[in-house]
Amino acid sequence: MSAGTSSAELESIEVDLLLEGVARQWGFDLRSHARPLLLRRLRRHLREERLETFSALQARVLHDGEALEGLLRTLSCTPPSLFSDPAFFRDFRARVVPVLRTWPSVRVWHAGCGTGEDTYALAILLQEEGLWGRCRLYASDSSEGLLADARTGVLPLPTEADARRYTEAGGKGVLTDYYTRDGNWALLQPKLRDGIFFTQHNLATDGSFNEFHVIVCRDTLLTFNRTLHNRVHGRLYESLARFGFLCLGRKESLARTPHAAAYEELDGSGRIFRRVS
Amino acid sequence: MSHVGVLVVGAPRAAAADLESMLTLLPRELPLPVVVALHRGPHDALVAPLGRRCALPVVEPDDKDDLVPGHVYLAPAGYHLLVDKGCVALSVEPPEHGQRPGLDALFESAADSYGARAAGLLFTGHEDGPAGLGALQARGGRVAIVGEDWEGGEGPEGDVERLSQGTVGAWLSRLVSMPRAKVLP
Repeated sequence: MSAGTSSAELESIEVDLLLEGVARQWGFDLRSHARPLLLRRLRRHLREERLETFSALQARVLHDGEALEGLLRTLSCTPPSLFSDPAFFRDFRARVVPVLRTWPSVRVWHAGCGTGEDTYALAILLQEEGLWGRCRLYASDSSEGLLADARTGVLPLPTEADARRYTEAGGKGVLTDYYTRDGNWALLQPKLRDGIFFTQHNLATDGSFNEFHVIVCRDTLLTFNRTLHNRVHGRLYESLARFGFLCLGRKESLARTPHAAAYEELDGSGRIFRRVS
Repeated sequence: MSHVGVLVVGAPRAAAADLESMLTLLPRELPLPVVVALHRGPHDALVAPLGRRCALPVVEPDDKDDLVPGHVYLAPAGYHLLVDKGCVALSVEPPEHGQRPGLDALFESAADSYGARAAGLLFTGHEDGPAGLGALQARGGRVAIVGEDWEGGEGPEGDVERLSQGTVGAWLSRLVSMPRAKVLP
């Protein structure tokens, strides 16, 4: 056996022990995460923490809740900017908003909101379309640290590229109308922030907590392995009202999930599905 | 010793034409999936041009699609394409070396999940790629590079095969003739 193979196997053992430790000590079971993504993020975390081995990380994480929060933060998938996929927001405006207008009240769940950029983008869109008054927007993530950031309503100052994407997304005003500048930071309108209910929810383990008319869960399930991915889709199905909308990432599919037959994909939309049964 | 279970290919943008030529060399009955990461912009349409002369179907996979032998999987714009024991895994982690899809990311995932059963082919010319190819080689995978400006860099230079455009075909046929040779008496 070559030295390379044995060090690779050793790393694999250390990763397994770390994950088991985190599950038993903190109840966060990361063993159902997609292995290649998990390995990349763990290695990045190791470099950032300037640690040599996963055993060293394990020793730290088992004893220190803040170290665990740091780890969860690295593992969480966070969209980096406002309106990060303009095509989705454009399609949502064109295909979903007209239907929402016909409903007296709308409950929206953004699952896996991270630090909130996409949630705020959605809130801006709903406000521009005159739906903010009858929408209740719930945003959840498994990391309390990320949620704490999201709740502040403070984001890095949007760049020209953000403003351009806002326009591409069908924005009806000017992005700067939605925040006030404070140095390198943007304080979002309190009206936006106060209308969003940020709540901790772990898609991997927590059950359904309401019935929603729209669920936005984009690029969040990439981090799960196939078994957990399908189980979470079961939960999303249970949480979605009949004729409600499920919005996934551009390269996410329902094809192999248990409730695929219960959805219709909207023509010409990115990945927006309507629950029909 | 072991069959090759996947071929992973990485190419910087400048090598797109060379990559297209390489894909035309793949035989219709290729017994393994080919997974390709090519540096690209958000709006490049690549599947049609790359698939035009290739005997195999070229697709941009969705997350968690199965890897089927005889198919070519091309990394979609804006995502890292990783492999995970028989299926693909897409990731929206930050770009590396300014690139997403990234070449190191694909090679490293092949090293982790296939080890010695992965073969890697890198078109040189970018800082992204050598480290991942080195990781794949360190796990016993068969690796080769195409192009002139290989500087070794982070990847171990050791016995990386160096190919020219003209010898890629021979390398590929050596790669895929291995499993067939095993079933012959």
